[in-house]
Amino acid sequence: MTRGPLAERRDLLILVLDTLVPASAEFPGAGAVALDHVLAVAAADAALESLLSRGLKVVEEAARANGVSGFAQLSPDDRESVLRQVERSHSDLFEAFVRHTYDGYYGHPMVVTRLGLDPGPLHPRGHRIEAADLPDLARVTARGPIYRQA
Amino acid sequence: MATDDRTDVLVIGAGAAGAAVAWRLARAGIGVACLEQGDWVDPRAYPHWRADWELHRHTDWSAEPNVRRLPQDYPVNDSASSISPLMYNAVGGSTIHWSAHFPRFRPSDFRVRSLDGVADDWPIDYATLEPFFDLNDRMMGVAGMTGDPAYPPKSPRQTPPIPLDTLGVTMARGFDRLGWHWWPSDSAILTRDYDGRRACVNCGPCDLGCPIGAKASTDVTYWPKALASGARLVTRARVREITLGPDGLADGAVYYDREGRVHEQKARAVVLAANGIGTPRLLLNSRSARFPDGLANRSGLVGRNLMFHPYAMVRGVFDRPLDGHRGPIGCSIIGQEFYETDLSRGFVRGYSFQVARGLSPIASASGGSVGDRVPWGREHRRAYDERFDRTITVAIIGEDLPEPGNRVDLDPALADSHGIPAPRVSYTLSENSRRMLDHGIARAREALEAAGAREVVFNPLLRAGGWHLMGTARMGRDPATSVIDAEGRCHDVPNLYIVDGSTMVTCAGVNPTSTIQAVALYIADGIIRRRA
Repeated sequence: MTRGPLAERRDLLILVLDTLVPASAEFPGAGAVALDHVLAVAAADAALESLLSRGLKVVEEAARANGVSGFAQLSPDDRESVLRQVERSHSDLFEAFVRHTYDGYYGHPMVVTRLGLDPGPLHPRGHRIEAADLPDLARVTARGPIYRQA
Repeated sequence: MATDDRTDVLVIGAGAAGAAVAWRLARAGIGVACLEQGDWVDPRAYPHWRADWELHRHTDWSAEPNVRRLPQDYPVNDSASSISPLMYNAVGGSTIHWSAHFPRFRPSDFRVRSLDGVADDWPIDYATLEPFFDLNDRMMGVAGMTGDPAYPPKSPRQTPPIPLDTLGVTMARGFDRLGWHWWPSDSAILTRDYDGRRACVNCGPCDLGCPIGAKASTDVTYWPKALASGARLVTRARVREITLGPDGLADGAVYYDREGRVHEQKARAVVLAANGIGTPRLLLNSRSARFPDGLANRSGLVGRNLMFHPYAMVRGVFDRPLDGHRGPIGCSIIGQEFYETDLSRGFVRGYSFQVARGLSPIASASGGSVGDRVPWGREHRRAYDERFDRTITVAIIGEDLPEPGNRVDLDPALADSHGIPAPRVSYTLSENSRRMLDHGIARAREALEAAGAREVVFNPLLRAGGWHLMGTARMGRDPATSVIDAEGRCHDVPNLYIVDGSTMVTCAGVNPTSTIQAVALYIADGIIRRRA
């Protein structure tokens, strides 16, 4: 299987994703769970693949402008600073990264589970809502008709 | 060119209105053939059966044809419009995608010129349509409660209202604290089994379709009955033009089948039900020596007076979970405190509040209809957790008034996969509509804060909100100021009927499908009467 230009920069992509959505006590970073999605959508769309690949180059160039040999050499705080520079200078490109990272991250079963939801298909299970009495609308009806006769 | 068997009535479009007309005519013994450019949707194909269901909302199940780009879709040039038209091309049409809000227009909505001095009165009224509203309710199946003081008394709803749940109850308390109107939404979603269909299981994303048929898309309501009554439905049949006989009457249509072969379907009458974009597109593409500016367009009004319902979206953030992921996404309650005209508010006509459910996981991150995506980086986790399952979105759906400059015409360059010129949409939000939405945003903020919201954010105009496509072949008595008469017949071609949202003279401040279908059934009744 041929690896696309984005997959060739997999290690850098993981660092970018982890900077967008860092790991926390209960949640993994996006590098662990959104990577496959980002690679998959890029592999299915040449224009997106090109856009994101260009984005990684811009990130590397921005990192080098900060006096290091690459993004990986930066501390997590400095990585975030570099990405904020890229967000300002290449907003369209950056939005594509954020959108697909969020899609992959919050569509992932592990994350959905940590949010307290069932990660599987919605059907056939649906959601159970406890039966409730019909709402009390006495106040609303007490006003009488509020429509105009025509 | 292949020639199909001649039929009594050719219906073009199998969505909300086309399905209703096809059923009504077929049940009366009239021969009906329907051409639909989309296909049947296999219930197993809906995203709900997959764990990655939410990812499909912005790809192959998007409501935007320009995003979805399925073979049965046609492109729409909406670069000159502040609202993007939404639609679905399939048996069931856009009822596949709709949220199934099912309010009726009010009596005053048919008399806006007489009451408020703007736009035009309809040539028909609420009382005329009432039996057709009731019939349509029975066919679609409506969950709701009678007794709403915002409407004349209605017939019993088919099932109890959809559950308000934590989110709806919270918002209702806000309206109660302000003394404002609210009511459980009339929703074409079953809360109990009805008419051979199953009750809703509260899975949530009705906008991606309903895999069990609890939501009333017309592929599960009208079409099975229409087919059982003898209607013939041809899918993946894209109509190129409506044809005229030597007498100047419509005599059928030319269409491409799924293999791209050209067919001619002859008929004694033609009913157009291709939605408020598709119908003017087809008329404008049906030029002839007799109608050089488009079929039935001597008034020059085909495609003009396009109305969307402009939506503003206002979202409150609360300090506690609201269980917003469960229950039909678009419906819980409706508020109509500011529906009728009060000129002291700075605008004419009015709007409704629609209280939707909460945001799903990805939508919570991207910002959903408000578009305020959660910040990335170190603050992401905290910001996301403060939002997820803690929001209520109030949609303001405002009455747009007809303006000739808001229109559909043919794009000079863009075409569909068969080379048929595509529609171009030009739409600018009017000053009246802007003031109306601004008023609604401020009142929605009040209501959300009264309900306990600690933060309120809003989107002043939802671009991807063109669900309702109306007014582009309007009804009226005067051939100079309307395209169809009070019976749905084109003034210029009296055996050519239009029954979709194009017919609407004005668009009210509520979702139009209930009224579109009632009008369609009323027009069908006229066809039956004249045939008898």
